[in-house]
Amino acid sequence: MELFFQQLINGLSLGALYALVAVGYTVVYGIVQLINFAHGEIFMIGAFGAYATWVLMGSPSDWTATTSLLVLLPMMIIGGMVASVATALATERFAYRPLRGAPRLAPLISAIGVSVFLQELVRLFFGKIPGMPDAKSSVPFPDIAGISGATITLGGVIIQMPAIFTLAALAVSTVFLWYFVNRTKTGRAMVATSQDPDTARLMGINVDRVIMAAFAVGAALAAIAGVAHGLMNGNIGFRMGFLAGLKAFTAAVLGGIGNINGAVVGGLVLGLAEAMASNYLGTTAWKDVWAFVLLILVLVFRPQGLLGAKVVDRA
Amino acid sequence: MRTVIPDQLKVQLRYPARAVGLAGAAAMVASVFLPWSYGHEALDDVGFTGLPSPLQFVFLILPIAILALLGIPLVGKAKLGRWAKIVAWNTTAKTASLGALATVVVALAAIAIELGGLVNIETGGWLALVGAILAAAATVFLPDSPEPTLSRVKSPRWLQITAIVVVMAIVLFGSAYALGMDDAGAFLTLAALLVGIILTLRQFGVFGWLGIASANNNRVLVMSAFVVAFAFPFTQNGSNANMSIAAQVLIFAATALGLNIVVGLVGLLDLGYIAFLGAGAFTAAVLSDSAFATINFHPPFIVTVLIAGTVSSLLGLMIGAPTLRVSGDYLAIVTLAFGEIFRISMLNLDGSDGPNITHGSAGIPGIPDLNLFGFDFGQAHIIAGIEIGRFANYFWLMLLVMALIILVFTNINHSRIGRGWVAIREDEMAAEAMGVNTFALKLLAFAGGAFLAGIAGAIKAHHDVSVTPEQYVFLESAFLLAAVVLGGMGTVSGVLIGAVILKVLPEKLRFFSDYRLLLFGLLMILMMRFRPEGIIADERRQLEFHDDDEELADEIEEELITHHAHLNPERKGFEL
Repeated sequence: MELFFQQLINGLSLGALYALVAVGYTVVYGIVQLINFAHGEIFMIGAFGAYATWVLMGSPSDWTATTSLLVLLPMMIIGGMVASVATALATERFAYRPLRGAPRLAPLISAIGVSVFLQELVRLFFGKIPGMPDAKSSVPFPDIAGISGATITLGGVIIQMPAIFTLAALAVSTVFLWYFVNRTKTGRAMVATSQDPDTARLMGINVDRVIMAAFAVGAALAAIAGVAHGLMNGNIGFRMGFLAGLKAFTAAVLGGIGNINGAVVGGLVLGLAEAMASNYLGTTAWKDVWAFVLLILVLVFRPQGLLGAKVVDRA
Repeated sequence: MRTVIPDQLKVQLRYPARAVGLAGAAAMVASVFLPWSYGHEALDDVGFTGLPSPLQFVFLILPIAILALLGIPLVGKAKLGRWAKIVAWNTTAKTASLGALATVVVALAAIAIELGGLVNIETGGWLALVGAILAAAATVFLPDSPEPTLSRVKSPRWLQITAIVVVMAIVLFGSAYALGMDDAGAFLTLAALLVGIILTLRQFGVFGWLGIASANNNRVLVMSAFVVAFAFPFTQNGSNANMSIAAQVLIFAATALGLNIVVGLVGLLDLGYIAFLGAGAFTAAVLSDSAFATINFHPPFIVTVLIAGTVSSLLGLMIGAPTLRVSGDYLAIVTLAFGEIFRISMLNLDGSDGPNITHGSAGIPGIPDLNLFGFDFGQAHIIAGIEIGRFANYFWLMLLVMALIILVFTNINHSRIGRGWVAIREDEMAAEAMGVNTFALKLLAFAGGAFLAGIAGAIKAHHDVSVTPEQYVFLESAFLLAAVVLGGMGTVSGVLIGAVILKVLPEKLRFFSDYRLLLFGLLMILMMRFRPEGIIADERRQLEFHDDDEELADEIEEELITHHAHLNPERKGFEL
């Protein structure tokens, strides 16, 4: 039974990471019906932005747990968000906006180009920035006192502090997201635009701004996920966005694409399913396969996802 | 190309501009006979006085064209007669001058980089630069000419056929010459020069005319294209380096053609297509006579190829049946996930956690060469005194397969099935309402495309000698998609051109290899932004991408009318 709870915690923390990235897919898809294939790279750039912030702060390694948690980590998250939001807005402006109204294949192919381009940009040029390490292979993520390596034991189950950080980040982000979507003007404009862009425009909503807001919100959450990934795995690399992005998209579909709550639920379910499957159905080598098999099964039996998609077939 | 210079000024300056342009072109002609640089390494040696290098000879085409384009109109409008309108004299001269300028700049930059500094450029190089700048600056000031009407000129059949054959011969020797270059600077210079010449010819109206000529003589075109490709190994003198690239290009192109059915005709985005190639390759590998083959059943290759194709298309059905009912976006991601499942499964089927089929990351090495009807593909053969090596054998085999694929592709494209596919691509709901069985047709396209990839994979396994999972990563699928998109979705010739560009350029620009993917990503973005229909545009597709462009619609309509007026109604051939 202890093993079960251990896998439960592992699965939930992994799922929280997927959920944070999945929100970005679902928000953008809900509004422009675009699978932002490059969103995994936005997540990767968030992690690198946080890393760069850490270097800019003088690579502090002897800070106490309290200052690390209250100053260092928030600064790193903000730095990561700046990098990821700026990148997301730039890709929206230069790669996707000009293609609005084009056949649907065009922005999707453009997104693949953006994805490859961003990966290579980080691989080739991150090390060229003064003070930054070469990013051609993976970069060790800085240790944050009080989180990295720390564990708490709860009734025989060992819980890593980075896992708690990820779950807490998801909880805070979900509350913030709920407030943003339901209580702010921009958030409600987003809902209106996703329901009917033309009518929203007629009601005086600046659709371009709403789309930018959607990209920005998704990117900000992806940056948090990037930091969480760095803390949980101990290193980051230019390739980390590909598989994580794919999994997060799976999570978004699982929950019902276009549905923000669905993305969170889908992420958690996917993480749990992966942890349980690798525990009870053979070894970890096959866990990625189980995740994608799940995606295909969902599409066969419940294409609208667990919580119901806003759109299923608008092709 | 429009410039901001006011028309009035252009008219006033037309005589001095013409004189300066002629002088610039003359300077460029003269420069070829002077040394550009004494360093023998730069641009394959351009250091001779009085004797131009082969590269410089090809360069001569542009200045001579400028001299002719600017000089001939001097005889006066009356003597030019209808030719005054057929050719866009000034505009073509401008294109040629800009092409020459770009070539000279690339050439001088290559000299400076390869030898270390601008000091290495000699009189000839500077003279060429000055001449090119003069010509380019002068022709910009010439009044624009109306669009050329060369394509409307009626020409006898023999001339059209000769032109096609000549173009094909130029393609053969040009590609043999370009592939033979091992100096990156010289290769880039030649590339700039070729782009300049091609743009000049297009401005002259040659391509419009050739388009009609080839539409009239489709069979001649297809046959001569195959003869040229067939003759290619004879230009290599038994060297294997280029034949290996050429064989890889054909395998890549065959797979891309399969993807072209799915993406170009039906409009379904498949991001895991490389898995079908991999499935074919692994099937052929485990059934081969390799000592590492894991299945104790070694049928002859003909049977293996069919099994490989069938396995691939079964996988296509497995992945297509559940997903083709939902929207296209899902399909893109599910196929991507499928590509990953395939790669991870091949990695994991190493016996440690499941059956041993693929030996995991080591893959299956030592796959023997093909032996078809007693013809051993591993042996070199001497034909007409020229050695035909191992890769040339595979090249010819792939050529045969390509011929088959193209035949099937074009015939299906014009059949009831092909029209159904295009209808689905353009409006699935309308197609369904018209009685098209959309699900069955989509599934057919998916399985059919996978079958082609499976066949190509089976040959690839023997060509590559070993098969490993890491050959079939997502990036390869992206490259296949890029070949289709770059060349032109839904066209055969476009996909062939895209495959050649994507496979040959990285081989020739190895010093650039670190930036290869960066440029690749950028190219995909820019292509979607500025020319989503690809280099060779399928006419219907072009309209789809620019549906608010009335001018383009009229243009295409007019083109189609002239095109069909020239077509001989009783002749029906396949179209390339």
